[in-house]
Amino acid sequence: MRYLWILLGWLIFQSSLLSAPPVLAPVVPGKIFEFPDDHGAHPDFRIEWWYVTGWLETPTGDPLGFQVTFFRLTTQTDRDNPSHFAPHQLIIAHAALSDPAIGRLQHDQRIARSGFNLAYARTGNADVKLDDWTFLRTADGDYQTNIKADDFTMKLSFTPSQPLMLQGENGFSRKGPKTAQASYYYSEPHLQVNGTISRQGKDMSVTGTAWLDREWSSEYLDPDAAGWDWVSANLNDGSALMAFQIRGKDGSKIWAYAALRDASGRVQFFTPEQVSFHPVRTWRSTHTQAVYPVATRIRTDKIEWQITPLMDDQELDSRDSTRAVYWEGAITLTRDGKPAGRGYMELTGYVQPLTM
Amino acid sequence: MSHTPVLELSDISKSYSDRQVLSGLSYSLAAGEYVAIMGDSGVGKSTLLNLIAGLDSPDSGEIKIDSKILPVEDEAATILRRKYLGFIFQAFHVLPHLTLLQNVSLPLLLNHLSLDRAPAMLAAVGLQGREQDFPHQLSGGELQRVAIARALVHRPRLILADEPTGNLDQDTSREILQLIRSEIKANQASAIIVTHSRLAAETADRILVLDRHGLTPISLENRK
Amino acid sequence: MSPPLLTRWLLQGEWRSHRLQSIVAVLAIMFGVALGFTIHLINTAAVSEFSAATRSLSGTSDLTVRALRSTFDETLYPMLSQHEGVARANPVLEITVGIPAKAKAVHNPVLKILGLDMFRAISITPDLLGVPAEDKPMDMLADDAVFLSPAAMEWLAVKQGDSITVSMGTEQITLRVAGGLARAHAGQRIAVMDIGAAQWRFDQIGQLSRIELKLQQGVNHTAFREMLGKELGASYLLTESQDDDTRAHNMSRAYRVNLNILALVALFTGAFLIFSSQVLSTIRRRSQLALLRVLGMTRRQLLRQLLLESGLLGVLGSLLGLALGYLLAAMALRHLGADLGAGFFPGLEPQLHFDPLAAIFYFLLGTGVTVLGSLLPAWEAAHTHPAPALKSGSEYTVLAALRAPRLAAVCLLTGIIFAGLPPVYDLPVFGYLAIVLLLIGSMAALPYLCGLLFSTLLRALNPSKSNILYMLAVTRLSNASGLAAIALGGVLVSFSLMVAMAIMVTSFRVSVDNWLAQVLPADLYLHPIIHQDMRGLTTDEQQTITSLPDIARIDFIRSIPVTLDPTRPNITLLARPIDRNDPGLIVPLTENALSPGEISPDTVPIWVSEAMVDLYGFKIGKQVTLPFADPSQLFIVAGVWRDYGRIFGAIQMELSDYRKLTGDDHVSDAALWIKPGATIHTAISALKALPFGDTLEIMETGRVRAVALKQFDRSFAVTYLLELVAIGVGLMGVAASFSAQTLTRIREFGMLRHIGLSRRQIQRMLTLEGGLLAGFGIITGFLLGTGISLILIFIVNPQSFHWTMQLYVPWAWLVLMALAVLGAATLTASVASRRAASGNVIRAVREDW
Repeated sequence: MRYLWILLGWLIFQSSLLSAPPVLAPVVPGKIFEFPDDHGAHPDFRIEWWYVTGWLETPTGDPLGFQVTFFRLTTQTDRDNPSHFAPHQLIIAHAALSDPAIGRLQHDQRIARSGFNLAYARTGNADVKLDDWTFLRTADGDYQTNIKADDFTMKLSFTPSQPLMLQGENGFSRKGPKTAQASYYYSEPHLQVNGTISRQGKDMSVTGTAWLDREWSSEYLDPDAAGWDWVSANLNDGSALMAFQIRGKDGSKIWAYAALRDASGRVQFFTPEQVSFHPVRTWRSTHTQAVYPVATRIRTDKIEWQITPLMDDQELDSRDSTRAVYWEGAITLTRDGKPAGRGYMELTGYVQPLTM
Repeated sequence: MSHTPVLELSDISKSYSDRQVLSGLSYSLAAGEYVAIMGDSGVGKSTLLNLIAGLDSPDSGEIKIDSKILPVEDEAATILRRKYLGFIFQAFHVLPHLTLLQNVSLPLLLNHLSLDRAPAMLAAVGLQGREQDFPHQLSGGELQRVAIARALVHRPRLILADEPTGNLDQDTSREILQLIRSEIKANQASAIIVTHSRLAAETADRILVLDRHGLTPISLENRK
Repeated sequence: MSPPLLTRWLLQGEWRSHRLQSIVAVLAIMFGVALGFTIHLINTAAVSEFSAATRSLSGTSDLTVRALRSTFDETLYPMLSQHEGVARANPVLEITVGIPAKAKAVHNPVLKILGLDMFRAISITPDLLGVPAEDKPMDMLADDAVFLSPAAMEWLAVKQGDSITVSMGTEQITLRVAGGLARAHAGQRIAVMDIGAAQWRFDQIGQLSRIELKLQQGVNHTAFREMLGKELGASYLLTESQDDDTRAHNMSRAYRVNLNILALVALFTGAFLIFSSQVLSTIRRRSQLALLRVLGMTRRQLLRQLLLESGLLGVLGSLLGLALGYLLAAMALRHLGADLGAGFFPGLEPQLHFDPLAAIFYFLLGTGVTVLGSLLPAWEAAHTHPAPALKSGSEYTVLAALRAPRLAAVCLLTGIIFAGLPPVYDLPVFGYLAIVLLLIGSMAALPYLCGLLFSTLLRALNPSKSNILYMLAVTRLSNASGLAAIALGGVLVSFSLMVAMAIMVTSFRVSVDNWLAQVLPADLYLHPIIHQDMRGLTTDEQQTITSLPDIARIDFIRSIPVTLDPTRPNITLLARPIDRNDPGLIVPLTENALSPGEISPDTVPIWVSEAMVDLYGFKIGKQVTLPFADPSQLFIVAGVWRDYGRIFGAIQMELSDYRKLTGDDHVSDAALWIKPGATIHTAISALKALPFGDTLEIMETGRVRAVALKQFDRSFAVTYLLELVAIGVGLMGVAASFSAQTLTRIREFGMLRHIGLSRRQIQRMLTLEGGLLAGFGIITGFLLGTGISLILIFIVNPQSFHWTMQLYVPWAWLVLMALAVLGAATLTASVASRRAASGNVIRAVREDW
């Protein structure tokens, strides 16, 4: 569940008077996932992402949150345009570090049209590039990413330690009351992270645990939706939790979902009625004046999860480029009051008015 | 009244391209004295006046005004001239584009003195109420009155007058000469008046004749 | 230090008495300063506007890569983008399109469209990003959307949501105005659209115009530029923003410098007027100044007083000049454009900025020149002996100081030597110095010449038979030649400048007219809506035109801009059918061209304009490479031709050679000859009836010539204005000096009246004097003016504009002007003398007029 759902909104509103508009594939239940092809790009769908979040540990033992995201967007431009510059596909990437010692996010983003081998999202296996930012799945199933942001560089590899986790109905993940409002969605929890982060010219080897989300779709969010709250967590006992709710403009819950997979691979799914989010503490951003429920209590049926942020200011303000403003940060969580694990939370739609 | 001489000429010689005009002239003018200098044309009367005024310098000899040696250098001579001397010319020489009052005020301004005395001087020469008139509105006699006022306004020690009535008729001349004398006396100044006119010379305390022997005092009776 | 009150009284007195002379002096200074300041303001506005506009196009880039041709293959983009040392690369496709809707009202209605990749442009030229409607953000990438700068929107009278039709060759493309630009440079007319859309819509698939590079931190720009230059080879150009500035500067330099010189000449004339009026004024006031000295004003005080007097005139004149200059600049920018109609800066609307530094410079120049002009007379007045000066008749001693035959000879001789020296930094510095020296020398020689002429005349007179008035006049002119010369100076300067300009402009105009006849031999000319259209006419379209029944012969011409030197404006390449055996049929050669036998078979002949020889050293017989040929080809300069149309240089070559070398078979223009028996009218109708007929600009040769000559006259409008001003100022100078002189001679007139001359006779005598003097001035002025015009035609023009011309003297016009000036001067003398002879002048406070 990602903020670019909103981008979908403005893509769809485009007037389509073109002679050769792109034909987009619908998301329907019953798809059989095929790998490694489904790790690669799905250019027939409007939007797609490779989204990694996780916790790292520095050589001094300090915690560090990180996020690396690559998006692929199919635009509505005329497919008859033979120009190599024709912006049929856009690649967007975000990267962020959450360091409590700094107290706010260090982040950077890139955007480019795909072409000239400068930016692409290849089919067949995960292979995305945007200038000198890359995300690649190797033959042995590891992922490698290379990010050269303004304030930091990241060179990380992710090694799977558990099988893929298909969300929803075998990877068909609904986002609203209508069945068309859905995406193909799978996750890879408990990825083992190894790599180097360098800031201000200083290299630092890091290890940690990450979570990969893969999602692609052509449809958009419910028109009444204002934003969403989303959490994923690698739990200490080897289980994995993902939960989200879609909020209406009046703050009400339009849709919700949660899945909890235990270490043995047994998955427990929760219906929208069984999942609820309850703000515990809010934080007001000094950058945007937005108020985020940074500490939250989540109920999945009988289980109560308590979310605490690694630090309050994990707001990502990129209004001067991609215009997105949201809160995305490292969190710890407790299960029924006991420390349970670490993860990431995303809160969108809290900035008024939402201008995307 | 001080008895030091106002003007001392010692052994003055001056020649212009081979022509000796003055040679070894010495003379001393006492304070308050009013003398007339007569002489034939070309004998050097104007040269003598120019030398005294510092407008020209002698080939040899020394000129002292109020015991101060008249310098050769122009700037210093000018400063001495404007303080100690007053001039009355035959051709009046009143600046045409200045008012009478402004004309009379010129020496005061040049000597950095207060302008208060200018209207009084104009009144003294009989031109009260005409301060803002321009020279072209005046007759010859009136113009010379302005010149007299201007010559005396800054209380100079010595007045040099060169044929002051040369451009005037007899009646006016008489009037002007009376005025010059009375004003000079009233201002306790000394004066040298260079003239051909007996009428003018008669108003002086003494009359001197300039010839190649120098300055010789005469009485008018002798010349008759 | 004289007391301020005295200073003020004397100034007021002088003003009260010589209002007119003071006003003339102030006017002269005012015009000089105004002209200089105007030209400076206009040009600074134009150049800074041009530089700013160019800079806004390249944004914050460190280096711009472009090809010598207008476009190049886009594969360079990923190469540069991933090149070591490059942080960001921003590809740009620049398209020049025509606006059909404007074709009737505007000559060459050009709009520049930039095709940008917004995601790349954002970090280098963020100002150029389109601003879409709130609800249509994807318009940024839409292939039918265009974003217009405010100036472009205003020019096209459209707003967001409207559509515009643009033309490229015979094609018309309609685009949707999706919004404005983030921050376009004020007055700049540009459009922006997505680069992919631009390649597609304008048929430039795979082509780019330039790539802006941002280098990584720590990369040495010079070294990188050098390295990349080697890597890319000679067909690519690397430029930095200062290159663009230099280019803008070079564009109008010659024109600007020439106008500036004219302004300085006006200032020089003003200084001379001040000089002559101060000389006369000190002569007239000789006894008054002497009185002041007697009363005790020191030399220094008097000098200060006189310099203050002229200084005040200078300050007043300069201040008025600055105000007038600003006003003139504002008016000229509004009505004539930034280049005063010369056409160097199209599509820009420069804003006038008051430039305090320049204002101070011109103020000091005006004041300084004035004070300098009065220095000599003031010095003389302060150092003269006051005692003799109190007496009348001593004026003539002053004038002896003004006789300087040696100075005159040195000036004239140096002037002639300077005229033969080569240009400095492409500017005819020595040519102009020669003109100034000739002017100064002639003026210094005037008293001598005047005395010589009139004493000769006097000797030739038989006293018993001659008219007494004539004799008196000649005698005076002969004996008082110094005074006469002063009155004459103004006439001499202004008339000689007028003669020089008239001869120069006529020679130029006749040469241009002859040249036009030679370069426009056909009956009809046609091209798409704009010149040098990127697409032009395709081979099919060429075929269609050729097959029209009324056409006897047709020459197709390909015209493209080519950059040979990034710091110089583009040159023009013209490819057309040229007969190697007789290139002179098409090309207006200046000398014999190489014969086909002298052209070696492995070289391609080109014929270059004179500017190419001066600017790039393309001498006849020289073998050169030109960047548009790929693979590189050796060319030989086979001839030099005269080109009044493109001062930055042009090259002509055979169309077949061009096509072979480039594969470009489109053409930009066509010259058509009509079959005997057919009329131009039916031919035009047939052309208009073609499917693409309404996209063509069709012009009859006569109209082309008329338009060209109109443009020519327009660019010389300022020159004509300057001439009139110079003549006016000169005449005012005559009037002022004549009236002042007659007043200094009142005693003389009184004497003449006494010995039996009537008032009328005195007046006639003065008129005669004035006429004789003016006649002499006009003859001298004519000789001097002819000399100056020779320098202008054969030295200044070739050196600054790189073209030569033939000499044509507009005799009728010159005679007419000479008579007019003679009449005006005589009339002035007559009017001034009527006052002098009237007798009551003795009592007038206001001595002049």
